[in-house]
Amino acid sequence: MPKLLAPAGSLEMARAAVDEGADIIYVGPLGFSRRPYESEMSDDAIREAAAYATARGAELRVVLNTYPTPYDFGRFLDKALQYAADGASGFIVTDVGLLRALRREIPGTVLHVSIGSGISNLEDAAFYRDAGADVIILPYRWDVAEIEALRRASDIGLETFLFETVQTGKLCPGKCIMSSYLRFRDWLAVEGSRDFHGSANRGAKECYRVCQANWEFGVPGELPVELKLRRDARLMLAQLPGFVAAGVTCFKLSGRERPVGMIRDLVRFYRKAIDEVVGGAHSLDHHAEELAELRLRWVREKSKRVDTLMDRAASYVA
Amino acid sequence: MFELSTDVGNLKELREGDFSAYDALYLGDFSCPDYPNNFSSHPELLEAGLEIVKSRGQKAYLRLYAVPGNDDLGWVEDLIDTALELPFDALEVHNLGVLRMLNEKNCRLPVHLGVFGNLYTHETAKVLKNYGVTRVYPNPELSLAEVRYIAEHADVEVLVPVHGKIPLVISETCFILEHSGDGEEEGGQCGDGSCSYQCTQEHWLKRGRGDGSRADWSLKDTGRMTLSGKDLCMLEHATTLAGMGLAHFYVHNKGEAPGYAAAVGSIYREALTRAFAGAPGADPASALVTLTALAREGLCNGYYFEGAGQRYIGRA
Repeated sequence: MPKLLAPAGSLEMARAAVDEGADIIYVGPLGFSRRPYESEMSDDAIREAAAYATARGAELRVVLNTYPTPYDFGRFLDKALQYAADGASGFIVTDVGLLRALRREIPGTVLHVSIGSGISNLEDAAFYRDAGADVIILPYRWDVAEIEALRRASDIGLETFLFETVQTGKLCPGKCIMSSYLRFRDWLAVEGSRDFHGSANRGAKECYRVCQANWEFGVPGELPVELKLRRDARLMLAQLPGFVAAGVTCFKLSGRERPVGMIRDLVRFYRKAIDEVVGGAHSLDHHAEELAELRLRWVREKSKRVDTLMDRAASYVA
Repeated sequence: MFELSTDVGNLKELREGDFSAYDALYLGDFSCPDYPNNFSSHPELLEAGLEIVKSRGQKAYLRLYAVPGNDDLGWVEDLIDTALELPFDALEVHNLGVLRMLNEKNCRLPVHLGVFGNLYTHETAKVLKNYGVTRVYPNPELSLAEVRYIAEHADVEVLVPVHGKIPLVISETCFILEHSGDGEEEGGQCGDGSCSYQCTQEHWLKRGRGDGSRADWSLKDTGRMTLSGKDLCMLEHATTLAGMGLAHFYVHNKGEAPGYAAAVGSIYREALTRAFAGAPGADPASALVTLTALAREGLCNGYYFEGAGQRYIGRA
């Protein structure tokens, strides 16, 4: 039975996602999960979210998907042990060393490999399985045939974002440090005292979504074209039956930074869609109108956020 | 004492270029299998390339494709099988799946982890050592102090880039080809045979007011990679590098004009030799003029001194 994995950027969002039928919610601790602090949670809030989820038959995963500084490695482990004691059933991680350490220290936990690991082929999946991972996130570009091939080759759990596949443009996960090249900012007090400079990959410093801003591109001396470095990912629907049949075990909804109302509606929508597919539906075309409306809301919120992030980046001191 | 290395994409560049300032060469372009006669995707050229490098008394490291999809694994494996029959001094991997392939083949050669291997911690370096990794290129976001920490706590060689454009992004498809029409993705599709090697012309991404202020951003694009607009430059810090016990230095040459590697290499050869001999550093003014002239968007120190990648801090 495929699971629906929903974002919880706040306690309110965590409750909404559980109430609407998410099987698993994921939360990011302040400074450890590649989001600005507004979309991360304090340890007390995480504990409360875990209690809320488990009391209703859902699970909570903690996102520890920033790359530790070598100095800070022990702190990641300590926090993970605390979250496990507080009811977290698993973790979403990126660093191979951390993955190994968590498997060793918390043998029964569920370990997801984050999109930030940049998996791109079947051999990657085998590597992470060897390293102790239970679930990997599939690359944005993979189609059903590739998912089926992996299903045949490995028993590792398969997770995918609820986005359509994207075949062109720069796909950053795990292979991009543009944000920190352009600008750092100092840690905020709410993110805790840390002894290294962060970045989008290392926590506290949000990704400025450089790839989604407008750039001029061309050869010096010629008229440039204006473009984005990647296309916006579109919310998925028609592909769901094929992905479930191919063996995807976990569908992940992005959006910890989105309004709670939007996440509530999206969880409700995808809960319904996944249940229909599990019940035997081969087509979800009858939801097209509702999906169109959700896509519109998604894009509207996203473009607002991209402009805000790039403005922030320009305002920080180098 | 120390090793200075750079990269060479193909046989023509190797034959025609002056790489005499370097102890070792990384052969191949790890970002694009379609790059003309790329060592990283042409097993039939490896022997000839290796022969030239060895005849010059240098070490030869072979770069393997950094972001193989499932369709690429077959030809990457063929390349590996050929390379394992040849006296390369090491293979460079970026992809952990390919690293696993090497391990499954009982690879007898040392393995270097490349820049897109996402190496941030000593603990990850320890894991990768079990797969035969002997040298790592820590992610460019790390400071010099963190780089040294990894070297010491994982007991592993670290490659320390000292000059050139920093790789920031790699993608499985070619951005230049995709936008070779009118900017509306009317160009060809990467891998469909339509590549006309437009990457031989410089392409740049720019954003901002165009007034040279800090709101102005420039990045160089080679099609499958985006590089820092500015050239990393550690010339003024050669003594610091030597004093930190770091010993493997590297100049990024990808996407640069002929002559870049020679000019930069000779400057760093001299500076590092002096630093390792304990001699006082020479006045860098003249060398900096040369390096600045080669850097269209200026110089930076990357992330080595715990700042954003574009900053430049002089010795003073």
